[in-house]
Amino acid sequence: CHADLDQDPIDPDSFTETNVFADAQEAKSALAKLYASLALTGQQGPAGQADITGIDEGTSQYTRMLYSLNELTTDNAVVGWGDPGLPNLHAMSWGASNDFSTGMYYRLAQEVSFCNSFITNAQSFGDDPEVAAYIAEARFLRAFAYYNLIDIYGNVPLVTQVSTVPPEQASRKEIFDFIEAELLDIQANLKESGANEYGRVDKVASWALLSKLYLNADSWVSEDRYSDAVEFSKMAINSTYSINTTDANGNGSAYDELFLADNNSNGAQSEFIFTANFDGNESKTYGGTTFLVHASIGGSMEASEFGVNGGWEGLRATKALVNQFDYAVTQTDDDGNPVEWEDSRAMFYTDGQSLEINTIANTFTDGYAVTKFKNIDSEGNQGSDGGGDFVDTDLPLIRLAEMYLNYAEAVVRGGAGGDLATATGYINELRERAFGDNSGNINSSDLTLNFILDERARELYWEGQRRTDLIRYNLFTTGSYLWPFKGGTRSGTAVEDFRTLFPLPGNLISVNPNLTQNTGY
Amino acid sequence: GTVTESATGLPVPGVNVIVQGTTNGTISNFDGEYSIDNVSDGDILSFSFLGFATQEITYSGQSTLDIQLEEDSAALDEVVVIGYGSVSKKDATGAVDQVSTEDFNQGPVQTAGQLITGKVAGVSVTSGGGAPGEGQTINIRGQGSLSLTSSPLIVVDGIPLSNDAVGGSRNALDFINPSDIESMTILKDASSTAIYGSRAANGVIMITTKKGKGNEFKFNLSTSTTVYTPTDYVDVLDGDQFRTLINEIGDDAAIERLGNTNTDWQDEIYTTSFGSEHNLSTTGRIGDFMPVRASLGYTDQDGVLKGDNFTRTTASVNLRPSFLDSHLTVELNGRGMYTENTFANRDAIGSSVDFDPTQSVFDENSPFGGYFTWLNSENVQNSLAPTNPVALLAFKDDTSEVRRFIGNAKVDYDFHFLPELTATVNVGLDKSNANGRVVTSDQMPSSAQDWNGAYNSYSNENTNKLFDAYLTYDNDFDVHSVNAVAGYSYQSFENDNYSYDSELKEDGLDFEDINKAKSVLLSYFGRFNYNFDNRYLFTATMRADSSSKLNPDDRWGYFPSFALAWNLNNESFLESSAVVDQLKLRVGYGEIGNVNGLDDYNFLTKYAGSIGGASYQLGNQFYQTYRPEPLNEDLRWEVGKTYNLGLDYGLFSNRISGSVNVYLKKTEDLISFVTVDPFTNFANAIDDNIGDMENRGIEFEINVVPVRKENFNWSIGYNISYNENEITNLPDEVPVGGINGGTGNTIQLHKEGFAPFSYWVFKQVYDENGRPVEGAYVDRNGDNEINDDDKYLYKDPYADISMGLNTNLNYKSWDLAIVTRANLGNYAYNNMASSKSFETRATANAILRNLQSDYYNTGFVTTTETNLSSDYYVQDASFFKLDNITLGYTLPEIFKESTLRIYGSALNVLTVTDYEGLDPEISGGIDNNFYPRPRTFAIGANLNF
Repeated sequence: CHADLDQDPIDPDSFTETNVFADAQEAKSALAKLYASLALTGQQGPAGQADITGIDEGTSQYTRMLYSLNELTTDNAVVGWGDPGLPNLHAMSWGASNDFSTGMYYRLAQEVSFCNSFITNAQSFGDDPEVAAYIAEARFLRAFAYYNLIDIYGNVPLVTQVSTVPPEQASRKEIFDFIEAELLDIQANLKESGANEYGRVDKVASWALLSKLYLNADSWVSEDRYSDAVEFSKMAINSTYSINTTDANGNGSAYDELFLADNNSNGAQSEFIFTANFDGNESKTYGGTTFLVHASIGGSMEASEFGVNGGWEGLRATKALVNQFDYAVTQTDDDGNPVEWEDSRAMFYTDGQSLEINTIANTFTDGYAVTKFKNIDSEGNQGSDGGGDFVDTDLPLIRLAEMYLNYAEAVVRGGAGGDLATATGYINELRERAFGDNSGNINSSDLTLNFILDERARELYWEGQRRTDLIRYNLFTTGSYLWPFKGGTRSGTAVEDFRTLFPLPGNLISVNPNLTQNTGY
Repeated sequence: GTVTESATGLPVPGVNVIVQGTTNGTISNFDGEYSIDNVSDGDILSFSFLGFATQEITYSGQSTLDIQLEEDSAALDEVVVIGYGSVSKKDATGAVDQVSTEDFNQGPVQTAGQLITGKVAGVSVTSGGGAPGEGQTINIRGQGSLSLTSSPLIVVDGIPLSNDAVGGSRNALDFINPSDIESMTILKDASSTAIYGSRAANGVIMITTKKGKGNEFKFNLSTSTTVYTPTDYVDVLDGDQFRTLINEIGDDAAIERLGNTNTDWQDEIYTTSFGSEHNLSTTGRIGDFMPVRASLGYTDQDGVLKGDNFTRTTASVNLRPSFLDSHLTVELNGRGMYTENTFANRDAIGSSVDFDPTQSVFDENSPFGGYFTWLNSENVQNSLAPTNPVALLAFKDDTSEVRRFIGNAKVDYDFHFLPELTATVNVGLDKSNANGRVVTSDQMPSSAQDWNGAYNSYSNENTNKLFDAYLTYDNDFDVHSVNAVAGYSYQSFENDNYSYDSELKEDGLDFEDINKAKSVLLSYFGRFNYNFDNRYLFTATMRADSSSKLNPDDRWGYFPSFALAWNLNNESFLESSAVVDQLKLRVGYGEIGNVNGLDDYNFLTKYAGSIGGASYQLGNQFYQTYRPEPLNEDLRWEVGKTYNLGLDYGLFSNRISGSVNVYLKKTEDLISFVTVDPFTNFANAIDDNIGDMENRGIEFEINVVPVRKENFNWSIGYNISYNENEITNLPDEVPVGGINGGTGNTIQLHKEGFAPFSYWVFKQVYDENGRPVEGAYVDRNGDNEINDDDKYLYKDPYADISMGLNTNLNYKSWDLAIVTRANLGNYAYNNMASSKSFETRATANAILRNLQSDYYNTGFVTTTETNLSSDYYVQDASFFKLDNITLGYTLPEIFKESTLRIYGSALNVLTVTDYEGLDPEISGGIDNNFYPRPRTFAIGANLNF
């Protein structure tokens, strides 16, 4: 009977390494997990077998945490819920065990481990070119995780092999160099621009991520890499990707298509370099766009107009974000507050909403609501989930418009290889889409650093970039720029500079003696 | 004749003298003298008196018949069931309590746990709530583990049960009809449980069922009818209070939403309910070699939550034939159970607290079956609104049937050439099968636009097999006696679950899910008992366990134990004592492993395929994803080392008896679900052997018989235990205890230096009137920010002191039993108040929501994570409960050799507590949507014939 002690899994949903890496087709399901980790939260939709434990599963979704860490901490957004650690984000008073900074670290480190395991195991297929592309994509995803890690935490361990040995902490510079080297190295095996299937990355993604990395090099590792930023932005801009100009729903703007339920097919996909994909039936989560759509609805908004069955009454814009569109106001209400704008990117719901925020907690009507994300396709139909719970809309993690802005900023910051006129042209391309004509165009003399930062807010708000941008401009913690409830006071106040980095999870510091906590925490 | 006490020669008054089989009898007088007429030759005279052995004398014409009654030593010779054998109580060396039929709690008892509630020091039995057939959490000597199962091992007639829940069942112990139980033995310390090795880390409850006995068939028929009444509701605002509030705080839109009735939603969902129970059993002997017992039982109980119902049919057979001059005895037990459950929708409990009291139950314009619903402009339910509680009950049909069979065949063979040696083989099977389905009507208020009802079904099959073989050697050599056991045990646990989801099917997704697992436990065990002159007792046990859950290198665990006992009462200096009947000093040490509740195959590299709605789109196709699963190749046994020092005493003819125990349990290599660096694994937390814990405590039990007279007996039992749990080593802090309010909030924390499940909270600031100041907490680290770093650990849900006090009175034909309990120092987190009593909640989300009345105490406007985590809501839940009063009257000889007892019982009679929530006795300490425990009244009859 002793042999009976050797039991093998008998569950039909459980597989061994041999099953998973039996052939390239099976291995694709393991690759799919590497992508899915940035969109879904576990092995059961919408929740049930979570990847990350100790945090609400829906909350643990990558883009939802990215939104929380990079938008809620800024002038872009507030949230009215009392979830653990959440009110501390906008108040900039998070501690070392904050649920969001902890959950995000876990999610990203886990993605690194998933990628490491995949890369090691997939090597066994030798020369299969399709598998070589899988491995390059896995390395891209690992580099993407590390890009987020140095952005959010700075100094983290650099791990490229699965091992149970507690890792040493690497410096921000070492991580930076690793990401750069990896992205340069994998280009040989990534597919050509536009040659891969939707949802999987090609060479352009590695260029785009390098562009982002170089743009922040000064802020993160005190290196002037603006010329590299110019170069790689340019490569991405000159690829097969193009700014979406298809106004598929005929409402006069091709901007809103980027955030509709059919944005994987309505033309918007031409702009998407890297996406997190969602589907109301097949890929369900309480994070992602399901979160962005539901959480943005409340007050007198009609959920059905957004293709969902109800609002979660959470997310609103601060006055600072609304004010970015001041120059384009076409109509105000009785109190003189703006209610209509020429710039179609100003997607605010104002009925019954006050511009000014008095109370953040549980008071949806304080602050304008944002209508950017919808679960309606360009025909006006609701997404595929008939119940209106889960959203189809994919979320661009990198889209070409950002490359335009990166190019402009790198040029203005002194990067070689580009010019102001081209940069102005790029910005005007975005603004023409926003205004529907050239009435919003600028001159090259208007293209200052501050203008670019504001333009980034207008183009990219709520897409998970704002905190990084403000830090690059040294405005995130300082008193040079205040927004409502910055630092926990209504009129806003500066906070200590150490908050440009989030803490490493407090628990990990006690588990892994090799780790040193970030200053201030 | 005269009746005297044999030891002292003193006359015994009040002795019952009766001619057997007749009503002819008398009682000895103050001088022990008696006389009786109409006695014929061959009649049997029976002399009985409590505390003395009954004597039966065949009358053969004597005119005088003097009787010497021997003191009844049955109390000391009581046989106590221990693992793989039994021992007389005076020879037991461990901390063992046995509760037998006559001591069981009386009245309407549905499950085994209720029989011993409050009876044994250190054993807490807490029901999960007031639902019919509801399960209980049984803890012996506190919280034994962090991640693993903390419940004791239950052994029924030698079959250790699986810890796995039976799906669709309310309670793992439902399968056994309490009236079939002869005794429950609680093994508390490691020296007595170590024989069960790895499975016994949290103690063992041995259930022995009634066996066939007697020469002729006797029958017992019992029946009872029970009424359950809800006693208390969660305090909420009534309609008028709510109207006043909304008019004060609401905007025009909110005021417009007010209805004009007063509805007590809790009153709408709870009701007085009824139950009945009938049992028939027989015991006797077939031929001259096969004692038999058979029983049938039927229980039908409605819950106080409308629509809740539990019915159970049980049947059992016990056969004990013996052959070859009793060298070969066979025991066959078969026990079948069939339950049907109708689960009332418990979502109604929370929603009845939330629902606007100014609305009517019905609204003729509602598209949802005419039930009032908070609609949005699409004419579906507002997705953030609570659902009408009455509709919740009406439109969800949740039923299950559970079948379970537990059977074993045990063969004992005393070797012909060496009768002291017995070979035993025990083969057991525990198989359960559950089928359930949840039908949600399309009339159920829903926010889904394409809602057309849902059908979910599941089935669950558990198969556990047991094979035990062991040899027992039992012999006396002069003043030495030896008992040795050595054996082998094999157990396998299999489960096979299936579920079906119609909504997934509608969406074209995988709508069926299958879950399977199997584990095996293999053991060798041995025990050696040595008794010198009934004075010195020594026990040593050893168990080697191997579990398929652990990797091959760490699979085997070796768990030894030792115990010494000294029967001081048998020493010369006490032997002739008139006061001391028993005085036994015990000391024991044992080690026990634990992997109960651990997932299977943690040491294997494996991948989980995604199911239902977790595919990922690449190109035009959705792919199932494969996730590498967290891995721990090094999991080892969690080992508990228990030291126990005890004293058993019996004084004044055992009219005062009891025991004292002091224990220390150190659990090492504690398996807890702790943080792992996800750079080194595929998860952020895994089960790992990390940390140590200590349980320390003192238990004291005393039983007193103040009156022992022929027509009047009175006994009192009192037990008190003090227990302290402390995590002595844990590198990680583990938040646990999810609560309502916000998303993902937890309220408890495992932290070194504190009790497990301690509340992790902010320190509330109060104003000069003692009112909590909203959002004001003590900045404990003084950094001018309030975040997690300012939280502290405050109290825990476990009682420091638990007490039980019960008494039995018999006066002539009357009997009265009263059971009371008290817990001191247990704290509860009042989640009903914390999540439902702030002002903005009343008007948020374009609907109205009722508030919990604590709002009047705090006036809190909003809720945040910090409000929820205020120590204000951690409240002292110490209590005293009058659990059970049963009054019975026995009519002897209603016809020949038959007795009839009729009784009335009241349960959950009274609770004294300062706790402000519904019920202070909350398993786990988080008071949230608690199913109220009803007050219960029963009348019943018990006929023996």
